[in-house]
Amino acid sequence: MTDPRFADIESHRPYLLRYALSQLRDGQLAEEAVQEALVSALESIGTFGGKSTLRTWLTSILRFKIIDLQRRAVFDRAHLEATDFSAQDDESWLDELFDGTGHWRIPPQAWSDPEAALEQRRFWEMFEKCLDRLPAAGGRVFFKREILGEGTDTICKEERITTSNCWVILHRARLALRACVEKNWFGKEAARA
Amino acid sequence: MPDSVNCRQASRLLCVAYDRGLDATESEALQYHLGRCLMCRNFDSQLKFLRKASERFRTGAD
Repeated sequence: MTDPRFADIESHRPYLLRYALSQLRDGQLAEEAVQEALVSALESIGTFGGKSTLRTWLTSILRFKIIDLQRRAVFDRAHLEATDFSAQDDESWLDELFDGTGHWRIPPQAWSDPEAALEQRRFWEMFEKCLDRLPAAGGRVFFKREILGEGTDTICKEERITTSNCWVILHRARLALRACVEKNWFGKEAARA
Repeated sequence: MPDSVNCRQASRLLCVAYDRGLDATESEALQYHLGRCLMCRNFDSQLKFLRKASERFRTGAD
């Protein structure tokens, strides 16, 4: 009775939620969009021909749900402007990573066989955890830029930030993600027995 | 020619190189620094790897 693909679909929920959050910024709305998308997906799984990956197919369904929600005027654009990026202009956070002469406090190590990591399920669990640790705004901008591949111009407009602000946010997010991935996967201390 | 950027600045240049591209001066300074700094070369390849991982994350290649 139960299609084995149901479990497959469900396994993409965290990714879909992250996608919805990057577009809607509201946890409750994002949950709602994902829920509706998953229900639609389950109803129409028979039409999934496997031409794209399951995740890509699910994302395209979700995209419509998001547009729908945005149209239903539930979407209050005003609260989008509430995000405070002002602290992001301050570059003192870099002091945690670099010493007074601009050298790495913890030098990036050489990562051994990163390609192989991409094939491991546990690598992706760690990757998601590291994404979760990024500050909300930074995580959202990073998701749009690196994962969805949007241009910084588009992102700036959506986030109502300046381009230089966007670059600073991305610089910070990349450094943080890199450090997290090294600490939890590639680093000498990372326990992954 | 002295190294005109330090690791902190190089990390920034490596990031913006992808987002907006670098002008000739920036590019030259970065290349010079990378030539002498293994840590920043590591950082450079890690950024590229994370980009690849991010793309893969989007499609969830199963």
